[in-house]
Amino acid sequence: MSPSELWGAICGAGDDSSRIIFFDIRLPRTIVGIFVGAGLGASGVVMQAFFRNPLASPGLLGVSSGGALGAVIAIVFATSLGLFTIPFASVLGAFMATGAVMMLARKGASPEHLLLAGVALNALFGAATSFLLSASATHTHLGAQILFWLMGGIENRTWEHVWMAAPGILVASVLLLPLGRPMNLLALGDSGAQSLGVNVRRLRWQLIALSTTLTALATAVGGVIGFVGLVVPHIFRLLDGPNHRRLLPLSMIGGASLVLLCDLPTRFLGSGMRLGVLTSLVGGPFLLWLLRRRSC
Amino acid sequence: MLAVTGLSVESRLSNVSLEILPGECVGILGPNGAGKSTLLKAMSGLLKATGNVIWQGRILDHIPFIERGRILAWLGQESAVEFAFPVRDVVAQGRFAHNDDGQLVDEAMDALDIVHLAKRPVTELSGGERRRVFLARALATGAPLQLWDEPASSLDVRHALEVYALARRLATNGSSILVSLHDIRAAYRFDRILVMDRGNIAIDGSPHEVLTAPLIRQVFRVEAHFMTSLVPELPRD
Repeated sequence: MSPSELWGAICGAGDDSSRIIFFDIRLPRTIVGIFVGAGLGASGVVMQAFFRNPLASPGLLGVSSGGALGAVIAIVFATSLGLFTIPFASVLGAFMATGAVMMLARKGASPEHLLLAGVALNALFGAATSFLLSASATHTHLGAQILFWLMGGIENRTWEHVWMAAPGILVASVLLLPLGRPMNLLALGDSGAQSLGVNVRRLRWQLIALSTTLTALATAVGGVIGFVGLVVPHIFRLLDGPNHRRLLPLSMIGGASLVLLCDLPTRFLGSGMRLGVLTSLVGGPFLLWLLRRRSC
Repeated sequence: MLAVTGLSVESRLSNVSLEILPGECVGILGPNGAGKSTLLKAMSGLLKATGNVIWQGRILDHIPFIERGRILAWLGQESAVEFAFPVRDVVAQGRFAHNDDGQLVDEAMDALDIVHLAKRPVTELSGGERRRVFLARALATGAPLQLWDEPASSLDVRHALEVYALARRLATNGSSILVSLHDIRAAYRFDRILVMDRGNIAIDGSPHEVLTAPLIRQVFRVEAHFMTSLVPELPRD
């Protein structure tokens, strides 16, 4: 689309095809990208404060892989796939994963317990997903659909996807923003935070519920998009410091920008270059660089 | 007044009762594992415990967290820090329950001699500097109950003396101070000493009553020789 065609479409003056391209293809894709990125960015900030570990990310608790397994089960077993089947199964899987982690780690629910429970669940869900994938490999159509979903992407998203994810992500973000201040205290230790007036137990439950909601909804419409939740908070912590009152909104904006930026080349690079592949291509080396930096 | 009755923590603290008056500066001594840190944490409501901690006639456990944050300040021993908050931001966290960022933050930073570190990331400080930052955070609460767990460990001699002088000053202004001590010789700087042994308070009295050779032998299993030696003091200016 040329700029003049775009302008025409927005003003309602252009021809039908450019109007359809803009309003029914480009615009929903962009809006979905914004919400998915903002959700993943905010969720990453929460996880890192929750685990008091700057290397934590939304994938850590098994939330993303739970969502992925839910979606894959829906793809393989659902007799008819409505538009909402896969996202719904994904949200269900993500919340069940969080529920399982919290049950496993209920005694004390220290960050270390949750982390190890997450490792165990990630392995379990990963194994189940791989099994379903290899079992359905003979059905080329199913296998392709699963792979497609596991690699994450926001192409072909419609207004239905926007309505599915946007309200929930918006509400969770609005509820999350005022928690920036107590999160600053939590980041420096539970006992200290509680002695200064934070209800640590309640705060931890709020954070886990909101961050699961954000990850689940983002995964539901975008598939598994790795590393956004890890990389984005880090960049802004380096640029602007660790104050969560600023880090939360900045990471939402940054996450949205990163997803849209990584989505651009997927439009030109052909079907192999998926959004999830690109974010991981960027994120993997970034994580290695971080580890190197921290060890010296 | 702060009253503790029958405070117990499973296998760590058994049935401890004590009272601390406003203006009292109390030290806790005891070997490793005697229950000093456990007592301070349990009194601050940070551990699952039975028994009661009563502050001015109210059970502390029944007071909402935010209000408790204005009454009681606790300084713990653990201070592994992963996030590079600037020093001043950490001290200002002491005002969380008050929801302001006032004069007390600057006063606390001045009292702990960390004004020059204000903008430095807390992750880049030495152990002793970080200790002073967290003590300043506790001080900035303005809470009338100050419970500090070995505040002077890892401090140099000058800053350790300043911390004891600070405890004395706060007590003079009507606060109740309870400090666990790593160094037995620091006991003489306090009004009253509790000696803990295996989860109990073995003795409670003035430093001169408490620190006798037989007691030290019994609790710490070392021989105590009382002799004249170097005693550092803050200059009188």
